[in-house]
Amino acid sequence: MPHEVIMPALGMAQDTGHIVAWRKAPGDKVAEGDILFEVETDKATMEVEAQGAGFLTSVTAEAGADVPVGEVIARIADSPDDTAPPPTANGAAGTAPDTAQDTGQNTGPGAAEPPAVGADALPEGAAVIMPTLGMSQDSGLLVAWHKAPGDAVGADDVLFEVETDKSVAEVAAGHDGYVAALLAEAGEDVPTGRTIAIISAEAPERTVTRRAADAPEAAAAPKDDAPAVATAAPQPPDRPIAKTEPVDETGASGARPLASPKLRRLALQEGLDLSLLARAGHPQPFHARDLDRLRALSRADAAPAAAPAAASARRLTAEAEAQGFAAFARWASEVAGVGDEAALLAGLAAAGHDDLRCVAVTRFGRTRRYAVPQTRALSGVTEAADDAVPDLTIRDLRGARLAAVEMGPEATPVLTLAGHGATLAVTLECAAGAFEADTALALLTDFAGRLDDPLRHLL
Amino acid sequence: MSRETTLSKAVNEAIAEEMRRDPTVFLLGEDVAEAGTPFKVLSGLVEEFGTGRVIDTPISEPGFVGIAVGAAMTGTRPIVDLMFGDFLYLVMDQLCNQAAKSYYMSGGKLNVPMVLRTNMGATRRSAAQHSQSLQALVAHIPGLKVAMPSSAYEAKGLMKTAIRDDNPVVIFEDKLMYQDKAPVPEEEYLIPFGEAAIKREGGDITLIGTSSMVQVALKAAEALSAEGISAEVIDPRTLVPLDEETLVRSVKKTSRAIVIDEGHRNYGVTGEIAARLNERAFYHLDAPVLRFGAMDVPVPFSPALEDLTVPTPEAVAQAARTLCRGELIHAA
Repeated sequence: MPHEVIMPALGMAQDTGHIVAWRKAPGDKVAEGDILFEVETDKATMEVEAQGAGFLTSVTAEAGADVPVGEVIARIADSPDDTAPPPTANGAAGTAPDTAQDTGQNTGPGAAEPPAVGADALPEGAAVIMPTLGMSQDSGLLVAWHKAPGDAVGADDVLFEVETDKSVAEVAAGHDGYVAALLAEAGEDVPTGRTIAIISAEAPERTVTRRAADAPEAAAAPKDDAPAVATAAPQPPDRPIAKTEPVDETGASGARPLASPKLRRLALQEGLDLSLLARAGHPQPFHARDLDRLRALSRADAAPAAAPAAASARRLTAEAEAQGFAAFARWASEVAGVGDEAALLAGLAAAGHDDLRCVAVTRFGRTRRYAVPQTRALSGVTEAADDAVPDLTIRDLRGARLAAVEMGPEATPVLTLAGHGATLAVTLECAAGAFEADTALALLTDFAGRLDDPLRHLL
Repeated sequence: MSRETTLSKAVNEAIAEEMRRDPTVFLLGEDVAEAGTPFKVLSGLVEEFGTGRVIDTPISEPGFVGIAVGAAMTGTRPIVDLMFGDFLYLVMDQLCNQAAKSYYMSGGKLNVPMVLRTNMGATRRSAAQHSQSLQALVAHIPGLKVAMPSSAYEAKGLMKTAIRDDNPVVIFEDKLMYQDKAPVPEEEYLIPFGEAAIKREGGDITLIGTSSMVQVALKAAEALSAEGISAEVIDPRTLVPLDEETLVRSVKKTSRAIVIDEGHRNYGVTGEIAARLNERAFYHLDAPVLRFGAMDVPVPFSPALEDLTVPTPEAVAQAARTLCRGELIHAA
């Protein structure tokens, strides 16, 4: 089928191509895929293939010529003699080669037939094509025209916007003149290389406006890429405060005081309030060296305070996986012959803490006391007399509907196991004098770690 | 007994000793034989071991590193010499896709006991393509060990360990340190991988330096000591494996740290070490861990500019002062 050969658009910003050489002479027989000519752009020299079989005729541009992109420079005809009148020098462009096959009857304005008389006849002028903006782009969504038919345009004026997979780009007219024809509507997806506008040098007597295809109208509204930004400033999330942290970090100004991690840890261990330093006007950031000053401030602050009891209590909470200990208890019962879960708990809690010789375990309302050996061997945990004085009480509330407890310090330190889901909450409560801060932290984290993975205990 | 030896001679000794000890050890690379490398590190080896074990190759880094990987798989222990660390870019596939992964991908059937010795370090007026310090690039790849000797002593002991290691090892020597002397024992010794060296003890701040940055750290520590700030200087010696324990122990003691490496600062060795300290010693830190590295620009050719791009003892000492005084390092 006869068709036209145009200068292809090979680069994003290319508007002319330099014909380096013709590989076929006028009248030559060509097969689809044969190299017709070589074209040089800013970046590269490329070979242009024939899009169909036939004979090369009507060659209008010679080697060495610079030809505007989209301009027809030859025809592939059915016979070597079929030399239809070549298009005018700056004539309307034809279909881009790579879309010639699939554009159907509506192949754009450059049809080779003699200009038809009628509504469809297109004005003369420079063709503007749908550009190739991406490596593998084969069509572009026409977002909007920025000019109306008949408008005067400069070469650098934005003529339309096109959306590809990656972006929305504004495309300049590329020619000075007047908008003589708009051959696609906003919302249409147009194959690259297709002529979508004609810019005439003179003000056109008439203009043409039509759709690029007969396809049902595409969704015309361009995507709204910028959804309204929520106007209300997002609320700062509640700052999670470690459950073991007694430090009130609200400084005098209401902001969190700047303090080094080391000082925070030391303050935490001693139950000191960093905001005292801030309220005293001590310059931030605070470091470990400020600990003495913080201690002094804390003493001065505590002297008139009315609630020494509360300040002297410790309450720490840790989390452990329920499944770890449950599985271990089953194993211990079936394989190791240690069937008393309470004894296992006592052993796991006291191991490594030589001060804890007697541990009381309260389960289901019954309290039993255990003597724990210093060897860590769980099988060595034995039940003690009812009048033995426990160093630690374990309150086993697993399965009860309690998520956490806060009971206040008792005569002996109390470890409470709570939670009925996958996670156990382990809470240590004691008087400040019962354990040093370090010891309390170690006791709780060791115990929680062993509940998580009791096998660690055996290693 | 020990004597003062240059880093260059220490490397030469290590390789010669291992070649005498194990006939499967051989050298290959550009200008390793007659020329003994541009830095004369390998002088004399071809005379002792012949051209069969000290092999000059064409300028073909991917080719000869590939040869070394294959030779290592088939039972030898090649030491492949990459004339400049900057050429690592040329051998990335051989090193990172083949050498680093063969043991894993063959289910343990193919190990690659290869040493790739190369160099790093700027201020030699060698311009941007011969001055880079690319240790972070290979330390990122699982399957490669990375050693960074900081003196002649480390250079010899680490090289011998590398040659005997059954896995690929990349050794970076600082090309400005080849003539630096240090005491090296007369008798044979090896330095195990993954053992940092405490080069100077101190209690106020830990300076962690690699390769020539150990010297920078020591000089900074010396300056600080005059002001009553006691700095501990640690040389990790190998980046992979990294002796985290020694680093963490020191930082728990001093509560402050500066990490110095001559690679670019962005996404580099210093960031990795700082992150590990943060993960393991956060509650002991009294100040943010700071990083010193090469400025994030191509290394300039202009001497005046080039000298500005590398960490200096003065800059490290100044940062250490700021940390120890408890001044705010960054905007709150």
